[in-house]
This record gives sequence, structure tokens and C-alpha cells, in this order.
Amino acid sequence: MRRVLEQVVVHFSRLCGIILLGAVLTVIGYLFVHGWSSLGLSLIFGATPPLDALLMKRNVFNGLFPAMIGTLSLVVLAVCWAVPAGMAAGIYLAEYAGPKIKAVLNLFFDIMAGLPSIVVGLFGFAAAVFLNRKFSGAIHPCLLISSLALAFLVLPYITRTTQMALEGLPLSARMTALSLGATRLQNIVRVLVPQSLTGIVSGIILAIGRCAEDTAVIMLTGVVASTGVPRSLLSHYEALPFYIYYISAQYTDSEELATGYGAAIILLCICLVLFLLAFAIRKRISYYALYRA
Amino acid sequence: MMDKTVKIRTENLCFAYNGRTILRNSSMDFAEGEITAIVGPSGSGKSTFLLILNRLWEAIPRCALQGAVEMHFNGRYQDIYGRNYPVTLLRRQVGMVFQVPNPLPMSIYKNVAFPLQLKGGVAKENVRSRVEECLRKVRLWDEVHDRLHASALDLSGGQQQRLCMARALILRPEVLLLDEPTSALDHAAAKGIEQLLLELKQSCTILLVSHYLDQVSRIADSVVELNNGRLVRKVEYD
Repeated sequence: MRRVLEQVVVHFSRLCGIILLGAVLTVIGYLFVHGWSSLGLSLIFGATPPLDALLMKRNVFNGLFPAMIGTLSLVVLAVCWAVPAGMAAGIYLAEYAGPKIKAVLNLFFDIMAGLPSIVVGLFGFAAAVFLNRKFSGAIHPCLLISSLALAFLVLPYITRTTQMALEGLPLSARMTALSLGATRLQNIVRVLVPQSLTGIVSGIILAIGRCAEDTAVIMLTGVVASTGVPRSLLSHYEALPFYIYYISAQYTDSEELATGYGAAIILLCICLVLFLLAFAIRKRISYYALYRA
Repeated sequence: MMDKTVKIRTENLCFAYNGRTILRNSSMDFAEGEITAIVGPSGSGKSTFLLILNRLWEAIPRCALQGAVEMHFNGRYQDIYGRNYPVTLLRRQVGMVFQVPNPLPMSIYKNVAFPLQLKGGVAKENVRSRVEECLRKVRLWDEVHDRLHASALDLSGGQQQRLCMARALILRPEVLLLDEPTSALDHAAAKGIEQLLLELKQSCTILLVSHYLDQVSRIADSVVELNNGRLVRKVEYD
């Protein structure tokens, strides 16, 4: 009986793995089948010469270039805000917080992780209105507000993965540097964090994915359908997820819909590049922290 | 023992982990420049006793300690749990080698140099020469001198343990705590470490937890047994 049960569990697990892989391949395949025809330089740059667009000499009006730059800026900014704060909070929870404070903060971050993104977007919008009224008319829903709202959205992922990665280290790893005369901070910075980088980077990758795909937050905090490449942190911007949403809701012919699929493929490629960048940075930091003499 | 300077003095030590008493009112003196073996049944608290001597138990949750530990440093007795005694300084003076080899996921060179880098203020050339000196002491230099920048995790268990020993020695500690340091080593390597300990006791007070009674009789100057939470001196060799 036990043997049969074991076989059932093994086959069920294998089946789930295959279904998951199949689902991912189906989605990617579907996008390529429908979006392949639209892929090309004209999808990105429209009628503008690519070099002129890249050198910012001319604006791109009917291509995805401004949305690509907008998305990239948004993700990089949001991750830049969220990673230091999230890691610091994770380190505090894992290494310094007492049991009672830890229990309260864990609950708080779990609730934060479950917040619907539309609520965070609404909060970002309200913050922009407040800042506009109280401080400066120049502040309005913009790239900065969107990136801060997205950073707030992904903060719990980074915090919790950092905390889990640090808490998952065995006691022996935790005690080694201390026994050699390291201070608590030296132990964290020079031994524990470098050893936990794999887990921490997983959280950052989750955050990158969430920032790149989220539409609800940016809809309320600064994205627009057409404005060109963002010129400053306080300007409106275009973004690929919003473009995909906009096209799929408003398309007039199948050719226009195909550009939406093309935009989705480009969004996937941007995510892939950012993931690879995160892995490369992790490898570099690990090398410098642990192996360089 | 009465003629020798007492290096470590413990008074009325009581230690509990997770509500379970490990040590009860244990008082014991350890002489300078001697190897003292600590023996006792498994789970009696031998390793815990070592952790008390370098305050490493403080990294473990749900532990409590009462009593006093004094060590003879710089010509006078220092209360190592005193407010004015920095724990990092204590751990640089009291080296420790664990039962299971625990190299950091770094290069061989960086593992041995790590305590000096933490301490700071040592020139790179001096670090290099100290690393070589310590690796030679533990008889590892000939095996690793051509791959010092390879990962320490690629070494065999015995080599890792000797690496940890070299790492503990690089700060030239006055007290060395060894928790079954030869349990992962083959016979020849264990003999080499025993020889090293006999050389080291000229400059270092050594407390050795060991289950090998023949090893204890070969190198220890005295034997202390830990049983039912109490330290009892069993044998004192001439």
C-alpha cells in the first residue's frame, strides 16, 4: 500500500511539473504565433530612423520605443528603491528583531504582500494629489510616484526572501566568523549576506517580474497612452503592460492586436535581460565578497 | 598544577539550554601552557562548556548562564563576561576549532587570512607570510600551495579540518579550544595534529574535547570529566 502511495505521489509530482512547463511553453508559443508577424524595427521605432530615436534626436510616435524605455526606467527605479530598504528590513528581522517584534512585523509584511495592487495604486494617486496640494504644483502622477508605489508593492517579497535566506543558514555558518572575532555587523556583511545571495536574488527576480507586469498601480500613478520617452522623474511615461492592456481593450483590426502580442514578447525579453543581469550581479558580488584575495 | 599560573578560572558556572540544565555550580582552574582533555558521555555538555569560554553560546537562542569566567591575559585576570571586556577581543585571544570542519565558502587563502582581515591593520605581505606559516604548521602547505585561490570547499574533510586549525592559529591565540578536532582525520593526519598540539602548548593553553582515550593519554597533561553537569578533575599527569 505504502509503495503504491509513493508511486502515486511521484507520478502526480511529475505530472504537475510537466503541466507547469507545458503551460509556460503554451503561453510563450501562443504569443510568438500571434505576435511574430508584427516583430520588427518598425514595431519599436515606427517611421522614425532607429539611430535618431536611440540618440533622442527625434520622437517616436507610432512605435514601442518610448514604452520600452518607460518600462525599463520604471523597473530599474522601483528595484533601486525597494532592494536596499527590503534587504535592510529582512536583515533586521532575521538578525536583530526580538521574537515579539518579529512576530508583529512578519504579520505586517505578509499583509503587505497580499495587498491588491489597485489599492497600492490608489494610495500612490492619493499621495501624488496630497504632495501636489501641499508642496508643489510640479508634483503629479509621474514616473517617480509610479516607481515608489511599485517599490512599496514589491518590498515585502524582497524583505521576506532576504529574511528567509538568512534564517535558513545553519548555526555553524552563523558561528564561524563570530568565533574568529568578527563583530555582528562584519558577520552579516562579509559572511551571511554573501552566503544568502541566491535566496535574496530570487526575491529580487520576483520583484522585477512584478514591477514589469503590474498595470493597476501605474494606471493610477502616471502612465499614459502616448507621451514619448520620459524626460525626467516627474514626467508622464509610457509602459509596455499598459500598452498591451490598451491595445487588447481598444484594437480595431487584427494587425493592431498583433502589435499587442509583439509588445508582450518584447516585455518578456526585457524581463529576461533583467533576470540575467540580476544573476550576473549576484555572481560578481559573490566572487568579490568571498573569493577575491 | 599549583605551581603553574592559572590561565582559565571558572566559578560556580550554571548553564541551561531551553530550560534543560547542562552545568551545575561547576568550578575549575586550567593551568597555562597545558593540554587539558575534557571527557564525558555524549550530550554531557563538553562542547557547550567550550562555547562558554569564548561566549559563542550567546549566538544560540534560549540559553542562560550564571557564574564567572576569568582568563589571565596581559598579566592580570580579566572577567570575560565583564562589561568592559569586548567579546571580539576575547574571540581573537581564544581560538576555536569545531568538531565538524567549517570552512567558509571562500578560497583556501581567504579562509586562513579571514581573521586577520577582520581584525585589520595587518599589511598584505604580512598576511601572506602568516597564511603560509599557519598552513605549514598544520602540514597543509605542501598539499595546497599551488591552488591557494581554489575553493576551500573542494578540499577533503581532513584537509578542511587542518585548514580550520590554521585559521584558528593565525591570530596567535593564547587559548585554543578544540572540539574533537581529529574525528574527521585519518590516523596519520591525526598524529600530525597531536604533534602540532604538543608544539603549540609552549605558547598556548589548550582545552581538548576528545572521545579517544588513547589520544588523551598521549598528549593531555590533565583530564577533566564532565558528568551530570559537574566538572571533576580525574587525572593529572606529571
